[in-house]
Amino acid sequence: MLAQVLFSGLALGSIYGLVALGFAVIFKATDVFNFAQGMFVVCGAYFAVTAISLLGLSFPLAILFIIGAAALMGVVIHIFLIQPLSGRPMLSVIMLTIALSIAMRALIEMIYGPQGRTLTTPMPTGVFLLGDLRISQLHLTAAVVCWGCMAVFGGFFRYTSIGLLMRATADSHEAAVVSGINVNTMNRLAWAIGSTLAAVGGLFLGQLQIASTELETIGLLALPAVVIGGMQSIPGAIIGGLLVGIIEQLAASYISPKSSDIVIYVLLLLILMFRPWGLFGQRELGRV
Amino acid sequence: MTTLNSSPSPPAAASWQRWVWWLLAAAFVGYLPFVLTDRAAFGVALSNMQLLNLGLTQINLMVIAMLGALSLNYLTGCAGLISIGHAAFYAMGAMTAAITGSQWGWPFPLVLLSAAVTGAVAGLLAGLPSLRVRGLYFVLSTLAVHYVVVYVFLEYQFKFFDVVGVPYPAAALGPLEINTPIRWYFFLVPLLALVYLGLRSSLRTREGRVMMAMRDHELAATSVGVDVRILRLKAFGLSSAIASMAGALYAYYLTNVTSEAFGIQFAIQFIAMIIIGGIGSLPGSLVGAALWLLLPSVIAGFAAQASGSTGIVRVLLVEHRAQLVQLIFAVLVILLLIFAPGGFASIGRQIRDRLALRRKQG
Repeated sequence: MLAQVLFSGLALGSIYGLVALGFAVIFKATDVFNFAQGMFVVCGAYFAVTAISLLGLSFPLAILFIIGAAALMGVVIHIFLIQPLSGRPMLSVIMLTIALSIAMRALIEMIYGPQGRTLTTPMPTGVFLLGDLRISQLHLTAAVVCWGCMAVFGGFFRYTSIGLLMRATADSHEAAVVSGINVNTMNRLAWAIGSTLAAVGGLFLGQLQIASTELETIGLLALPAVVIGGMQSIPGAIIGGLLVGIIEQLAASYISPKSSDIVIYVLLLLILMFRPWGLFGQRELGRV
Repeated sequence: MTTLNSSPSPPAAASWQRWVWWLLAAAFVGYLPFVLTDRAAFGVALSNMQLLNLGLTQINLMVIAMLGALSLNYLTGCAGLISIGHAAFYAMGAMTAAITGSQWGWPFPLVLLSAAVTGAVAGLLAGLPSLRVRGLYFVLSTLAVHYVVVYVFLEYQFKFFDVVGVPYPAAALGPLEINTPIRWYFFLVPLLALVYLGLRSSLRTREGRVMMAMRDHELAATSVGVDVRILRLKAFGLSSAIASMAGALYAYYLTNVTSEAFGIQFAIQFIAMIIIGGIGSLPGSLVGAALWLLLPSVIAGFAAQASGSTGIVRVLLVEHRAQLVQLIFAVLVILLLIFAPGGFASIGRQIRDRLALRRKQG
C-alpha cells in the first residue's frame, strides 16, 4: 500500500516538478510570479486535443505542434503583456497574470465548450506488476519523460552558452545589458521555456485525467512546490514538486481525499512562517 | 506610486454648489429602490432595458460587495498589504453567522457584531506572517490562509449541515424584519455610508497618515519611530472585521451559503474590483464593485434581447454569456493595468483636471 502510494506520488510529483521548473525559470528570469502557470498546463492539454483529435496529426508531429504552440504563446504573452508592465508594483504584475488566466479559461471554454475532452495518445496505458506493486505504464512514461525534460534543461542551463547567458541575465539585468546581452530575447526565451514545460505537464495530466479547465488547480500546485523548494532555486523547484506529489498522495490515502490540498497549503504556511526562503533556497538579505 | 485621493474637490466649486450635488445624490440614492421595484420613475413606466435589466437584488449584492472592496482597498491600497485571501474573511463571517445566528439563534445585530469580532481576530492571526515575511511571501501566506479557512468552512458545513449548504434565519432589527429587498436596501446603504466615512476619517487621523507613509516607504516610516508591525496588524484586523461583517450580511441576504461560494474566484473578484476602480482610492472601490456586480446583468439584458438573432452574436451572448462576461472583465483589467494603472479613479481625476484647466483658460 505504502509503496503503491509512493509510486503514484513520485509519478505525479515528477509532473508537478516539471511545471514548477517552468514556473521557476520564468520567476528567476523576469521576477514575475506567474499565476497563469496553471492555465498554461490547461493550454498544453488543449493543444494536444487540437493536434491529435481535431487536426489528426501523427503523434511526433503533434508533439512538435504542442511545443511550438506553447513556446509561441509564452513569447507572445511576454511581448504584449509582461514587457509593458516591467518595473510596475508587484500587485499589478500578479493581477495581470491572474486576469490572463481568467481570459484564457474563458477563451478555452468558448472554443472547446465548458465540458472536458478525453485525450487519447499512442502512449502506453497498460499496467504491469512488479512484485505486488501495480505500475501504470502511463504514470511511468510521464515520470521518465519529465525527468528527461528536466535533465535536458538542466544541461541546457549548465553547459550551453545560451543557458549561461540566461543565467547571467537572471542574476543581474544591468550587468547583462552592459555585457551586450539582449535581455529581452533572454526573457522571451525564459517565457517560452516556462510555458513549454507547463504544456508538457498538461499533455500528461490531460491523459491521466481528462483535458478540462479544471486542470488549472492541479497546475497551480506548482506554486506551493516552488515556495517549499525555495523560490530562487531551480533544483528546489523540482524537489518541491516531488514533495508536493508525494504528500498529496499520502494525505489522500491516509487522511481523506478532500484533505490533500489543505495539507499542502498548511505546509506552505509553516514554511513561510519558519523558513520563508524554502528548503533549498538561499536566505535573502534585505539591503538598505 | 498609488496616491490617496482624499482631497476635497477643486476649490473652484463653491460650497453651496457642493451641497446641492450632495442633496441630489442623496435623493437619487433614496429614490432608486422605488424606481427599481415599481419599474417606473415619477409615474412614467420604464422598460426593462431602460433600467438596464437591473433589479434591487443586484443593487443590494453590489452594496455588500462594496463593503468587501472598500476593506480590501484599505488594506492593499492604503496600508500596502496585498491579500489574495480576502474571501477567507467573508467565509469567516458567514461561518460565525452560521454558529451564532443559525445554531444559537442570536439576534441579527449581535450576529453582525460577532462576525466582525471573529473577523478581526482571524485577521490578526492571518496577519501574523507579516511580522516575518514581506512582499510576495506574504501574498502567498494569504493564499494559504484562504485555503485553510475554506477547508474549515467545508468541514463545518458537512458536520452540522449537509451538501445543500448552511441555512440562515431571516434578519431582523428588533421587531422589524428585514425581509424585502427595499428594507435590505435601506439597511445596507446607511451601513455602507458609515463604513465609508469611518474609513475615510480614519485615513485622515495621524495613524492613517502614518499607515500610508508605511506603504510608500516602510524604512523611512520606521526611522521616524513608527512601529510598522503593530500598524500592519491593526490594518489587517480592521479590514478583515469589515470583510467578515460583509460575509455575514452576504450569507443572511442569500439565506443559504455553501463553502464553494468562497473559492479563489471570489477572492480574485475583489482584487479585480479595486484595480478597476483604482488602488488606494476609496471612491474607486465603489465604482469597481458597481461595475463588477452590475455589468453581468446588463449583458444578460442584451442577451435576452438577442435571443432571436443568429450567428456570432447569439453564440457569444446566449451560449457563452458567462465566459463572455469573464473575458470582458479580464480584458478590461489587463487594459487598465497596462494603460491606466490608477484605474477609473485616475481616469476620472485626469478628466476633472483637464476640465478645470479649460475653465481657467476659457
